[in-house]
Formats: sequence, C-alpha cells, structure tokens
Amino acid sequence: MLDFLGVIALLFGLFFSAVGVIGVIRLPDALARLHASGKVAILGLFGLLLGASLLMPSSALRLLTLGLFVLLTSPVATHAIAASVYRRQEIAKELTQELAQDSASPEAPPFAGVDVTGVITRSRIQDILDAQERATRQRRVDSDKRKS
Amino acid sequence: MIENEIAQTAIQLILLALVILLIPASWRVVAGPTLPDRLAAVDLITTLLIGVIVMLALVERTQVFVDMAIALAAFSFVGTISIARYISEGRVY
Repeated sequence: MLDFLGVIALLFGLFFSAVGVIGVIRLPDALARLHASGKVAILGLFGLLLGASLLMPSSALRLLTLGLFVLLTSPVATHAIAASVYRRQEIAKELTQELAQDSASPEAPPFAGVDVTGVITRSRIQDILDAQERATRQRRVDSDKRKS
Repeated sequence: MIENEIAQTAIQLILLALVILLIPASWRVVAGPTLPDRLAAVDLITTLLIGVIVMLALVERTQVFVDMAIALAAFSFVGTISIARYISEGRVY
C-alpha cells in the first residue's frame, strides 16, 4: 500500500517535471521560461522526494534535508537569474511597450527621461541604447585604425 | 524495502522518463537566445539531475546517492548565483 502511494507521488513529480520542461521549450520569453522551470524545482522535485521517502522510509530524513535545502535555494537562484534578465534589458518587447504606454502621461515629466512615477521612459532607454551602440561602433573603428 | 515487482518496474520507467526529459532541457542550453536563458536551462538540468539521482537511489536501494544529491544541490546553488551575478554585473562580487 505504501509502495502504491509512493509510485503515485513519483508520477505526480514526473508529471510536473514534464510540464516544466515543455514550458521551458515552448514559452516565448526568458522570464516566462523561468516561471516554468520553477515548477520543476518545487512541485516536480518535491513529488519525487515524497515518493522516494514513502518507498524508502529509512532515508526519509536525508530526503527531507534535501527538500528543505532546495526550498531555500531555488527561489534565490531564480531571483538572481531574473535580476540578470532585467539588468540586461532582455524583457519581451510587449512588456516594455506597455511600460512606455503607461508612462506616456499627459502631465509633463519632472525631468527629462523620467516620468511622474520615476520610471525611466521608453525613449530614454532608446537614447541609452543608441549611445551604447554608437560607442561600440566608435571603439570598433578605433581598433580597426590601430590594426591598419 | 521494495517487495512489489510492479513498483520496482514503475520506478525504473520513471527514471528512464526523467533521463529523457534531460534532452529537451539541454536543447534549450544550446538554442536559448540570451545568456540568462542558457543559465536558467543549466539550473533546470541540475534540478532534473537531482531527481535522477534520487530515483537512482531508489533503484539501487542505497542511501549514498541521496548524499550525492545534497552535494549537487549545494554546488549548483553557488554556481548559479555566481554566474548570474557575473552576467548581470560583469564581475562575481
């Protein structure tokens, strides 16, 4: 009976692992893919750990330790990856366009590039990106000159 | 420990399915358009590997593999955090 329950829990974990992997393949955006891989880390792995501790009760304490460790570390790691996505400005275009529409308010912004709520406007982001692109092009021209 | 033959077969089939799930996850590492995508896929692969190791512990009926899984979880956490900080800030700390 315990074996049967354990296999059911293992199948639960396998189902959510499969769902998470399919999501990581098919979702369009880095942040959405992170959302899908979180399902594998918590639901999938915890189903597997529960099933393993039902099938092998002598190692339940170690499996519990592993589960607590993953419960602590997985959100931290996912948050670090999401922060790197945000800082590199690799959010999907739809999201940033929505942000620009939200910040296009009728009142004049307090100062250039920042709207009333303090969010950097889309045009300011575009200005920064353009400046960076110009700088890299200049650097490439300089290095070409140095080579020749 | 596990007397039931059907349960033993089911465990082996679930282990096989988890190993097959590693293939699409590693496809995302190769194809992922941006660097954080690849890092997230590597993190996903490590999580799946922890599951595979736990299933191996069930198949082999030994507890040593669970200790291996704990060590793998610890190392993967440190690695993911440091690589994420590196690709977002250009340095680890």
